[in-house]
Amino acid sequence: MKNIINRQLRGTEGPARMKFLATVSFVAYMTSAATGSPINKDPYPSSYQPRPSAEYTLLQNATVITGTGEQLEHASVLIEKGKIKAVGKNLEAPTGAVIVDATGKWITPGIIDVHSHLGAWGNPNDVSLYDGNEATSPVTADVWVEHSVWPQDSGYSRALEGGVTTLQVLPGSANLIGGRSVTLKVVPSVTREGMKFPGAPYGLKMACGENPKRVYGKKGGPSTRMGNMAGYRKAWIKAAAYKESWDKYETELAEGKEDAKAPTRDLELDTLAGVLGGEILVHNHCYRADEMASMIHMSKEFGYKISTFHHAVESYKIADILQQEDICSAMWADWWGFKIEAFDGIDENIPMVAKAGACAIVHSDDGVGIQRLNQEAAKAWADGKNVGIDFTKAEAFTWITLNPAKALGISDKTGSLEEGKMADLVVWSGDPFDTYTLTDKVYIDGAVLFDRSNPDTYWQSDFETGYVTKGAHQ
Amino acid sequence: MIAHFKKSFAIAALVTGIVSSPLVAEVIAITGGTVHTLGAAGTLEKGTVIIRDGRIEAVGTNVPIPKGAAVIDATGQVVAPGLMHGASKLGLSEVSAAKSTNAHSAKESPYGAGFDVAYGLNYRSVVIADNRRRGVTHAITMPSNADGIFHGSSAFIELNSAPNMMIAKGPMLADIKDGGNRSVAWAQLRQILDEVKDYKRNRSNVLKGKGRTDYQMPLHDMEALILVVEGKQILALQLGGEVDIRKAIQLKADYDLKLVLIGASEAWRVASELAAADIAVVINAQDNRPTAFDEVWSSRSNAVKLKAAGVKFAIADAGGNHNASNIRQHAAIAVAHGLPWESAMQAITTAPAQIFGLKGYGTLERGMKANIAVWDGDPLQVTSNTTHVIVEGKEMPLVSRRTMLRDKYLNK
Repeated sequence: MKNIINRQLRGTEGPARMKFLATVSFVAYMTSAATGSPINKDPYPSSYQPRPSAEYTLLQNATVITGTGEQLEHASVLIEKGKIKAVGKNLEAPTGAVIVDATGKWITPGIIDVHSHLGAWGNPNDVSLYDGNEATSPVTADVWVEHSVWPQDSGYSRALEGGVTTLQVLPGSANLIGGRSVTLKVVPSVTREGMKFPGAPYGLKMACGENPKRVYGKKGGPSTRMGNMAGYRKAWIKAAAYKESWDKYETELAEGKEDAKAPTRDLELDTLAGVLGGEILVHNHCYRADEMASMIHMSKEFGYKISTFHHAVESYKIADILQQEDICSAMWADWWGFKIEAFDGIDENIPMVAKAGACAIVHSDDGVGIQRLNQEAAKAWADGKNVGIDFTKAEAFTWITLNPAKALGISDKTGSLEEGKMADLVVWSGDPFDTYTLTDKVYIDGAVLFDRSNPDTYWQSDFETGYVTKGAHQ
Repeated sequence: MIAHFKKSFAIAALVTGIVSSPLVAEVIAITGGTVHTLGAAGTLEKGTVIIRDGRIEAVGTNVPIPKGAAVIDATGQVVAPGLMHGASKLGLSEVSAAKSTNAHSAKESPYGAGFDVAYGLNYRSVVIADNRRRGVTHAITMPSNADGIFHGSSAFIELNSAPNMMIAKGPMLADIKDGGNRSVAWAQLRQILDEVKDYKRNRSNVLKGKGRTDYQMPLHDMEALILVVEGKQILALQLGGEVDIRKAIQLKADYDLKLVLIGASEAWRVASELAAADIAVVINAQDNRPTAFDEVWSSRSNAVKLKAAGVKFAIADAGGNHNASNIRQHAAIAVAHGLPWESAMQAITTAPAQIFGLKGYGTLERGMKANIAVWDGDPLQVTSNTTHVIVEGKEMPLVSRRTMLRDKYLNK
């Protein structure tokens, strides 16, 4: 037991282990590929494996924010085999448990960012690594952003050091329909599949407003917001017909009809039909209140559900509608004014959305902002207080933990410190709403992925190797 | 209806500051707060600051309150110099992506070094009002771009939302990356400076058409650089990595310039050389990613290591505008990575004023301009808010277009 922990802290599980895991999951993939379904819906399956961890870890005597809106003082968190076993006071340490004294520290669920482009636009900044926008056609539902993800983007390690344990990588917003997103665990991996969050549903990136019309205005359109709407609607009409043909085929197959003929597959429509079938979640870049309302109407016209409006700087104007429709808003604490559709952004957007009972999320869309989402949540919390919207810190923490987990369809697996969930959590040097606080340790599935006091845990991308010493960026 | 209209007009006027504010008092006394003078007196508990006619008249713990003074009770609050953004675009852009609102770029214009933001300053900018309510009281506002290395002259500004917002001409801005690759850019920069010196010596002949006609830059741009080669205007040079920083140190030695570096994410790698050359830097304290091959050593320890080596530095994100006030968060990030609190506070108040030679700003001391922010907590904490902001001795409303939008929907 002790040896495993030591090895893990020293980070010596390294390449040999990675190779082993890759082999195991490849075999698993080959044997599960033939599922009998006419379309393999998981052709690039996750090969993520939790890093080795102690059978039991007990983090003691911390201030614990649960992610469900509660704050416990002098409390402990017990991890069993990578899962949360218990949270509370006076927890007994099971025999052989690794005990971590967290006196004076705060423990929270790992932060989840619903809006990242890490790996799709990598560092260093060079056109060779601009893989985020397939800006060749306004509807590219056929692209999957995981096929752009570069696991050696050093942005991932910076996000982890900021306490982010899960993030969604989205295609950019050049297109009306930009393609599939992917949800990743923030872990070192040579392959993309090695980061993929097991069991997370796919998302579909859509974009309202200025970006698509700017990109396509002189390339055949759309060139207006009405053109944008027409573009989405045409796509959904095709998708509905495609879905109907596949539904019919599958019904005939199930009925044993021998001459049932499979429709011709269309990669673009596979994804859109997946949205209409409820398997793929819609993540819709949309700033303005009027456009969000139109998108809601359109979702009803074609019978799909919007998970989340991203960059929703005007959600405060329609918080009641968003509450009724059960749609999350992913927002910045204070970004505004960088384009006209962002001009009405206000500092109180997030608390005002939360006050209306709608799902509020703080997102980053940024390789810097992702490193301090706790501070961004703190800003929104304080700006709310300033106008009499009085959430507790623990409630505000749901904006960067449980709510984004809900938006991504993984709230049964992570996002809060509840029994049975993945032990994705952060030990902070103090109150995470204090701007001087840093992460001390970051756990993913019960394993220590980052320990500020132990340079052996520092994750250096292959790009940085040979240029800089490990940890020099801190 | 009329009354309502009048009220709205009055508030709108306050936001832009077109009319004089009813909150103006000739003498203001701020009492009872923790006063960070950032000067020789250090921090005073239950201190008093007296403001008269736009300047600080007295600061201390035993200062009588003048008769008739408007009193701001800052008990339990924090009084500090107003924040200064040392590399902003304030007053030069309403909406970054809306070209019609921007006046910070000389690109596709006849101007380079001769570009001057003084003409573009927009005192009615709602961005100014919004940053002022968040504690920024004065700034340098800079050109963003041009078709060559030199971008033009910046300006020192007050965030007073008044036509007289410009305090003085600021540094000349240049960006080494706009000169092409490193070999080309440094050769070009040196050649331009040589030519400006030549032009300066032979100016009257050149203007009569009797001198050289083969200068790289047009004469109006050459003209603008005379102050730079004379060492009378600071050259603010944007660059990032160690290799270029060493070139800049040599440039200063060879041309005897007043030089400040902006960006300089790898400055800590050359800290002792920068200190020896007396070159100050304006850094973005968030930098910690290898955003370019030249900047792989970007580090959150930049500030603390510069401090240790005795390099003068300010903290500011180049081009900051809508959220220029977030320099206080950036300063706090430097604190989290080891920088002492007082140094961090100086880096967003006194240091930018000193580095760029703006006299009379940056500390709470007798005779200084009364640009002051009162906070409900530590100014570097993102959870703190201003309770009072004073610019040029006048209390300004904590109102902006954004707070008015908020209030419109808050209790909808």
